Formats: sequence, structure tokens, C-alpha cells
Amino acid sequence: MSELFERVHRFRQSNGWIFGYMLFSSLISLTASFVLSVDALELARNPGADLACNINSVISCGTVGATWQANLLGFPNAYLGLIAEPVVITIAVASLAKVKFPRGFMLAAQIVYTIGLVFAYWLFYQSMFHINALCPWCLLVTLSTTLVFSSLTHVNIRDNNLFLPPRVQNALASGLRMGLDGLIVVLWLTFIVLAILLKYGAALFA
Amino acid sequence: MSKTKNVSKPPAGGTSRREQLRQQQAQAAREHKIRTWTTIGIAGVVLALIVGAVIWGITNSSTGTPSTASRNVATQDYALVIGEQDAPVTISIYQDYMCPYCGQFERANRDDLEALVANGTAKVELHLMNFLDPQSQGTNFSTRSANALVTVANAEPEYAMAFNAAIYDNQPGEGTSGLSDDELVALARGVGVSDAVSATFADLANADFVNGSNAAAYAAGIKSTPTVKINGEDFTGSQIFTAGALRSAVENAAG
Repeated sequence: MSELFERVHRFRQSNGWIFGYMLFSSLISLTASFVLSVDALELARNPGADLACNINSVISCGTVGATWQANLLGFPNAYLGLIAEPVVITIAVASLAKVKFPRGFMLAAQIVYTIGLVFAYWLFYQSMFHINALCPWCLLVTLSTTLVFSSLTHVNIRDNNLFLPPRVQNALASGLRMGLDGLIVVLWLTFIVLAILLKYGAALFA
Repeated sequence: MSKTKNVSKPPAGGTSRREQLRQQQAQAAREHKIRTWTTIGIAGVVLALIVGAVIWGITNSSTGTPSTASRNVATQDYALVIGEQDAPVTISIYQDYMCPYCGQFERANRDDLEALVANGTAKVELHLMNFLDPQSQGTNFSTRSANALVTVANAEPEYAMAFNAAIYDNQPGEGTSGLSDDELVALARGVGVSDAVSATFADLANADFVNGSNAAAYAAGIKSTPTVKINGEDFTGSQIFTAGALRSAVENAAG
């Protein structure tokens, strides 16, 4: 059993797994951003448009898409995903092909993606507690952004790309060796799912 | 992502090489031990999620199909019936879209009604009335709006409740000319009703149904709107405008 755990752990630290799931998640995120961008155009053309994802009062991208939060910077937020995700896809594909990026480049990627993560969760918060409707594609963006962020952070800590003080770097690397990153991601996503179920419950399926 | 207080000590100056090695080994052993527990923890959480999802699925399927309950809208005996036919409680609502208190009632109880229908506790019988037609400067707003709702309920029942809510959210004042046909069409499209259906509102094809519904309500002794009945018993007073009161009364009736 212990040997199996060790093998799982070693696999989770491998480039193939980390960049593989970074690639997978960023492709999902790009797809969702693309659908949301197309929907935004559709809503602009026809404010009453019946989008395929308007399922009920809680799950409705038409409701979410029509809010000011959906165009915070004056254009649909999803455009940001169209800009940022291809960069991550490039990093993942190149790294799978054994390209080693400069530390400064990876640090810049980490900073920009962290801003993206904060933005994604701000939108999720607005959607949950102020708009009172969720949109399936936005949730997919929240999920995939979280996964991309965790893979990017994982690799940047592992490869000491973040120019952190040695003490902090050692602590974080030790955390990775103990597999805490996986536990944190799983607990975090569980927390999000439970929050949605507790707030909306049966109405999700009505 | 991972933040931990477990800081490995930097080797102190002058420590022998053997001592360093020993510390590294101790550190590795510690990490190995915690790693095992972390892996067990991850597996445990994932397993709990799967079990939870399965239990959720089983309990939901055994209580019927609440996911489609609110989409069941049928017209019978001059009423729109929303929800499962065999729901234990029937909530009858007599309403006129020109009546301000009907809007107040609907807005206060909308979520509760939706939930009661969705979980199969109750079905809602909507009795549309048009006795306030004289209150819309000759445009017969009560008939036109009720006709539009019946049209939607017949053709695209899944949007009927959302459309009902949309009309109340944009309810005109009593004595005004009300919403125009175009405004009703825009509201319907806003909640997802297709253009083909909303284009027929102006035909007033269901005006007879609304007239019949109004007459049937009078015949049943309804004197004012909103009149709310739970299993035929009047539910009256200011409590009908307080969110939650209707819900608990219905849940009591369900036993």
C-alpha cells in the first residue's frame, strides 16, 4: 500500500503529469472562454436571446452575462481568457517537449495568472452572492483556472522559479514533497462544491 | 499553493557533514510519514465525494423527478396547474396582473412556491382573472397579459413561471395603460420564450380561456385578488405577503 502511495506521489511530481493536466485544464478554460465570448456577442445582438445554458432560475448564463460584472473592464471578461490561456497552452506544450523556460519568464507567468485567479474568484463570488445565478461555462472557467493555477504554482515551487527567500522556498518545497498541494486543491474544490449545494440546493435541479 | 510551517532548518555553520546527512534523512522520513497521511486524506475526501454524490442521486430519484416538476404546466378547468399532479398539497392562487397586491404576494412567495413545487410538496393552480380590465384605460391589460401567459403555458410550458414572474417584476400601476403588447413580447423573449410563440400574443387566442377563468372564479365565490387557498382552505391576512408564512402553512398541510 505504502509503495503504491509512493508511486502515485512520484507520478504527481513528474513533468508529464503536471504539464499534461496544465494543458488539459487550459484547453478547457480556452473552450469555455470561447463559448462565453460567442454568447456575449449573441447577448449584445439580442438581449433576450435564449442561450443553451439557460437551464433554470439558478443556472442561467443569460442572467449572468447581462450584468455589469460580466463586462468589468468594458468588454466581456471572457476575452481575457482568450488572451491568457493560449500562453499557458504554449508553456505546457513546450514544457512537455522538454523546453526549459527562464525563471523570470515563469515568475511573470505566475504573477499574471495569480491576478487571473483572483479575478475568476471575484466573479464567482459576485455570481453566487450578488447576481444569484450561476452560469455553467463560468463555473468551468473557475474550475479550470484553479487547476491551471495549481499546476503552474506546483512547477514554479518545484523548480524554484519564484525568487523566494530560501526559508520560504524550503518550506514550500517540503510541502510539495509531503503532497500537501494535492490535499489543498481537493479540499478547496470540495469547499466550493459544498458552498454551491448549500446555497442553492434543490433549486439547481429544478 | 501549499503553505506549511514545516521549515527545514538551514545547516548551521560548522556542522559536520555526517550531522547534515542525518538531518536530511530525518527530514525525509518526516516528509514520507506526512505524505502517506496526505495521500490517505486525498483518497478519503474523493471517496466521500463519490459516496455523497451517489447517495444524493439515489434520494433524488426515489422522490420522483423534481427536476422536471416545475416544467409541468397544464391547463385544466380554467386553471394553469404547475407541478406534479399527485403532490399532497394544492395551492390555488386567484390573480389579476393589474392587481398590485397580487404582485406583492407573488414577489414575496416566489422562491418558496418554486421550492415547494420543485420538491414535490405542492402543485400550484393559477387562476387568471381579468376583472380589472377597466383599470387600464381601455387597453384591457389584464386580459392581454393573462392571455400571453396562457399562450406560453400551452406552447412552451417550461417558461410559464419565469414569464409570470417577469410580468410581476415589471407590473404597471393600477389605472395606467399597462404594458403594451410589444412590452409583453419583450418580457417573454427575455425569459426564453421563442419568437414564434410571443408573436401570437396579439391574436388573443386564449382570451376566451381567461374570460372563462374569471367567470369560474366568480362562480366559486372569489371576491378579491389575490385569493390564496391551501387545499381549498382560504389562506388570508397580511401573512400572505410575508415570505415563509405560506411555505410553513403548506408544509404543515403536507404533514
